[in-house]
Amino acid sequence: MKRFPVLVVLSLVLVACGQEPVDVSGIPDLEVVTVEEFETHLQSLDKPAVVNVWASWCIPCRSEAPLLNVAVEAHGDQVEFIGVDVQDSQTGAKRFLAEFGLDFQHFFDRDRSIPNHYAAFGTPITLFFDADGQLVDTHQGVIDERGLALGIDELLAG
Amino acid sequence: MEFTLLWAALTGVVFAWIGTRLWPQGLPERATDRLIGAAAAGLLVGRLTAMLIQGTNPLRHIGDIMIVRGGVHTGAATIGAIVTYLWSVGWRIAYLDAIAAASVLGLAGWKAGCIWRGACLGAVSDLPWAWSLPGSVITRHPVEIYAVIALVLAAFIVARLSDRPLLRSGVGLATAGLVMLATEPMRPSLTGGPGPWYIAAIIVGVVASIAGSTLVSRFRLRMT
Repeated sequence: MKRFPVLVVLSLVLVACGQEPVDVSGIPDLEVVTVEEFETHLQSLDKPAVVNVWASWCIPCRSEAPLLNVAVEAHGDQVEFIGVDVQDSQTGAKRFLAEFGLDFQHFFDRDRSIPNHYAAFGTPITLFFDADGQLVDTHQGVIDERGLALGIDELLAG
Repeated sequence: MEFTLLWAALTGVVFAWIGTRLWPQGLPERATDRLIGAAAAGLLVGRLTAMLIQGTNPLRHIGDIMIVRGGVHTGAATIGAIVTYLWSVGWRIAYLDAIAAASVLGLAGWKAGCIWRGACLGAVSDLPWAWSLPGSVITRHPVEIYAVIALVLAAFIVARLSDRPLLRSGVGLATAGLVMLATEPMRPSLTGGPGPWYIAAIIVGVVASIAGSTLVSRFRLRMT
């Protein structure tokens, strides 16, 4: 009977250490873009954009990912959602996308030149752009539901 | 930057501590410590529940638990906090009633922490007292300030209620739920907010405050 708690703890540790199998075979490599190409893309959208800067190694980005899916579902028709994967590998990025099912456009920015261009540091970052592609607001660090909803509301009301 | 949440939590603790000083009658020893412990346990339960709902396994991603901004389930957090507090005082209902007003005041403090977090604003408004975000021309309801004012009033009302079992805690839960439900439409949200949980809090609070004596005898909860 005394061994039972030990067995429970060992089982939990084994479960915690286990690697989740993720199939990334169906996911293409993320498109590599320059800052200029990124800006041109934003201006061509004709609607506001929310740009989330993430990386597969970034623990806080994991907590934001489900929220982004909710936001896309709620406002995907009014606002463009774009992901920018920084300082990462294509394999890591694809594993992350497969795990969270982030079904919107993502760019690959190994040198993090895009967030640097907007003077945004750290990861994650959420950038809010108006329909002209002009940066309206920058949220550095983890964004919560309230902050994201308010940022989107500002874009739509502006 | 992420420390703004800690500042908000500290504001909640200060408000709760003030509550225990304003209304010390019948409190257990180290009441503020128990309240903080219960709030922390509730936060953990709420965070774990939110992670499970979002499809993240807390055992495989232990570090994610710390990212409170990723979401905390309101209902689970409330239940976790109440159960933890009751456990810490040996399931004595009188201690739950004694802490009710201070808890509502603590919730008001947590809401007042929106000032540190820059998260006070809600729906667009052109009322004279509406605020705007830095750099924005759009003015908005300071919805969390409304909630703070209403919760402070509720705390004083709860403190003045009689000692009948579960009356203060029931009314405290119901009024907190009512304030949050009334202000919820003014909060920008992606999911519609935890409205059903606020309604549940109101119903449970009203039922508990009406049927308190019966519940106490049936579940053999201790009064003192």
